[in-house]
Amino acid sequence: MRVPVHTRFGHSARLFSRHLSNNARASSNSTIDPAEIEHFSRLSAQWWDEHGELKMLHKMNPPRVAWLKEKLVETAEVDGERSLAPWKAMSGKRILDVGCGGGLLSESLARLGASVTGVDAAASNIAIAELHQSHDHSLQDLEYRHAAVEMLAAEGHQFDVLCAMEVLEHVDEPSHFLRSCAELLEPGGHLFLSTISRTPLAHLLTITMAEDTLGLVAPGTHTYEKFIRPSELVSFFDHLGWITQTFDGRPSRHEAEVRGMMYVPWNGEWQLGPRGAGWSEQCNYLFWARKPMRRD
Amino acid sequence: MPVALCRSRGYATEASTATAQDYDIVIVGGGPAGLALAGALAHSPAIYETAKIALVEAGSLEKTRAWSMGEGEYSNRVSSITNVSRHFLQAIGAWDHLDTSRTAPVEEIQAWDGLSSARITFSTTDIPASSQHARPLQMATMVENLNLQRALLRLLSTKPAVHLLDNVKVSSISRASSDADAEAQAQADDYPRITLSDGRALCARLLIGADGHSSPVRSYAQIASYGWQYPTHAVVATLEHRAHPLGQPNTAAFQRFLATGPIAFLPLSPTASSLVWSTKPQYAAALRALDPAALGTYINAAFRLPPVSLSYLYSVLLEAHESGSPLTPQQAAEEVAFRERSHGISPHTAQSSSTTAAVGIPDSDADSFPPLITGIQQGTVAGFPLRLMHADAYLGSSAEGRGRTVLVGDAAHNVHPLAGQGLNMGLADVAELVRCIEAGVLTGADIGQGTTLQPYARNRYLANHALLSVTDKLHKLYSVESGPVVWARSAGLEIINELFAVKGAIMASAGAAREEPDAGRAAMRFAADAVEVGASTLHGARVLLTGLGTLAGTAAGRAIGNLITSAGKR
Repeated sequence: MRVPVHTRFGHSARLFSRHLSNNARASSNSTIDPAEIEHFSRLSAQWWDEHGELKMLHKMNPPRVAWLKEKLVETAEVDGERSLAPWKAMSGKRILDVGCGGGLLSESLARLGASVTGVDAAASNIAIAELHQSHDHSLQDLEYRHAAVEMLAAEGHQFDVLCAMEVLEHVDEPSHFLRSCAELLEPGGHLFLSTISRTPLAHLLTITMAEDTLGLVAPGTHTYEKFIRPSELVSFFDHLGWITQTFDGRPSRHEAEVRGMMYVPWNGEWQLGPRGAGWSEQCNYLFWARKPMRRD
Repeated sequence: MPVALCRSRGYATEASTATAQDYDIVIVGGGPAGLALAGALAHSPAIYETAKIALVEAGSLEKTRAWSMGEGEYSNRVSSITNVSRHFLQAIGAWDHLDTSRTAPVEEIQAWDGLSSARITFSTTDIPASSQHARPLQMATMVENLNLQRALLRLLSTKPAVHLLDNVKVSSISRASSDADAEAQAQADDYPRITLSDGRALCARLLIGADGHSSPVRSYAQIASYGWQYPTHAVVATLEHRAHPLGQPNTAAFQRFLATGPIAFLPLSPTASSLVWSTKPQYAAALRALDPAALGTYINAAFRLPPVSLSYLYSVLLEAHESGSPLTPQQAAEEVAFRERSHGISPHTAQSSSTTAAVGIPDSDADSFPPLITGIQQGTVAGFPLRLMHADAYLGSSAEGRGRTVLVGDAAHNVHPLAGQGLNMGLADVAELVRCIEAGVLTGADIGQGTTLQPYARNRYLANHALLSVTDKLHKLYSVESGPVVWARSAGLEIINELFAVKGAIMASAGAAREEPDAGRAAMRFAADAVEVGASTLHGARVLLTGLGTLAGTAAGRAIGNLITSAGKR
């Protein structure tokens, strides 16, 4: 099933006001697109079927978690914090998982010792996530909420880490969404995103191939116009004051980082591209930025 | 709110009234593979700090822990541990608990064909030394299975993380959720529940079958397997012999390929070695019933006499056995001496089985045969059927509600012992599975899920399949008794390639000096090449040599044969 036509045209019309212009004013209280919620509600029963429509997402989880850990360990070293055992590397961290879906990432982070809150705009996802959690005694510090980031921000919650994996390409007002995310982070907190770039290659791989031809991903999952380029994210956080300097358009890796992510079919695994390899960021990529410490 | 795995669901059915104990990993089977798996899991802090582990064994582990034998006496179940396996055992700390005075290095292997006497000898020096790795001191190490199991149990006694539940059988395995729990059933991601014979029940995030050929875990997981029983049994025994007359160490293994199956001699100490004699079931039964002295005579003859005489000796053996009066040592010696005389074998040559004449300076050929057997240790003669089996998959399917199950070792594959790879395949499975579980733990994964376990299946299935195929193909090549294959073999045209395939299978993991992620893949390539050579020569012999019958034995025939062989190799 495709996303209804009127929404697709709606996006095209708003193309210029989207794309992270810092001047774009939030048009509503929530950045959630109702058509997107409907789409993912239909998929929700599939969340934990590793061989089903969300197979690619299951395979994406391990390298994503590994990179998350890597960045946290790296910054902890810079900050001179004591190092934790690698199997409890997230201990003591309050993490918000935005767009948690069935809880794939939330569960992994909770097992690594974090205190995790998973939120999703689709109530059916939250129900699936809670059901799955109830079967597993290893998930100690994990709770789910049917909520939007804007709501949490308004309630004044604060987190050490905020993840929004494969979410940005599904929200309506990305700049407003990102600002809400930024508000939810403590100074020095970490923002992790994973999304898809707006390139011909990305269109070919994620829509033409993965959805329409191979059926690896449910048709209608992605809308090309909603994809965001890494450079757009870098410039957004530059304007937000999180990135103080760039070198050839790339931020210092203590402030922000972009890493490409590719599916390697013969290994059946996702793999991170090398640091600074622009060619690897043409389709799926991960983005990390750190909120500046408070200046006292 | 998190709830326990099994307790969260109501149990109305009779079989499941007991509250199940939750475990992250339950291993069924306390044989070498299961114990090595437990040891390796308990060696990884990432795993033992985060996972609750249990091992279930039907027999008594106490008996294995207390196992001991007198000096010079050896158990009849012995395995050849490759260097890769050895380094794995060292890495998990098990090797330190081994009684290494009871192990023996294999520095040379001699394999030859019973029909043509074509022979290949390979030794430690054939292992390439690389810049990273020095050449290992041995090709393999002979270890009694019980010595290894005891070492693993000693290792585990220092690792409280693994709960050993022995003297208790698995009565049944079922899905943890009751049928009434439709919502959970629909999810198809279910935890296996193991009910034990003492009434206890365990609930497993991951259930590992290290439970051997007739694996209950494999049945529960609904994993089909294919394979067959070979028309062959193995006779094993611990052999006694004199020390080498010139004081050389007993570090050579010998294997002769007979039409009835290979007979192998594996060194254990200067004066003791282990026998694995694969032969037809009726011969195996007759051999096992022999007086030890008569069996010793037959073993010596089986390594030395031409095939025609061995057929005669088999028929004499069977006739006597079926008449109810097995051959006496005296009769056996007379029959062998009669065959030697008819072949003109002098009692003073290496080909003679006469133990009385074999004193003094050895014949120049003496090192081409194993030392003459002078006795068989009491109670060590035993036998078992040989089979090939490979499970269709190593992981149970979560789509069928049989997820969270995985097979290792003999539960996943049974291999002909001719290349000595059975236990090594199991240990390689264990090393790879533990690597995957550890990687899963480090990314916070649910270690029972396919995403965590898939790399194990991907990295082991083909490697194991290649070794299964090559040993199976070799067994069959040598079992053919007539036709062009045998002609080609007796003419010495094809045999060299077959022996190279033997070498490939045996050396598959001899070279790597330590456990490497690529070692499995390299071994697979090596063995797969060998299969290719074996298969192509068999095919070549069949198709081309039938039409060349008249050229048999001529120089032209040989030249053509060589062309076929080299084409096959390419």
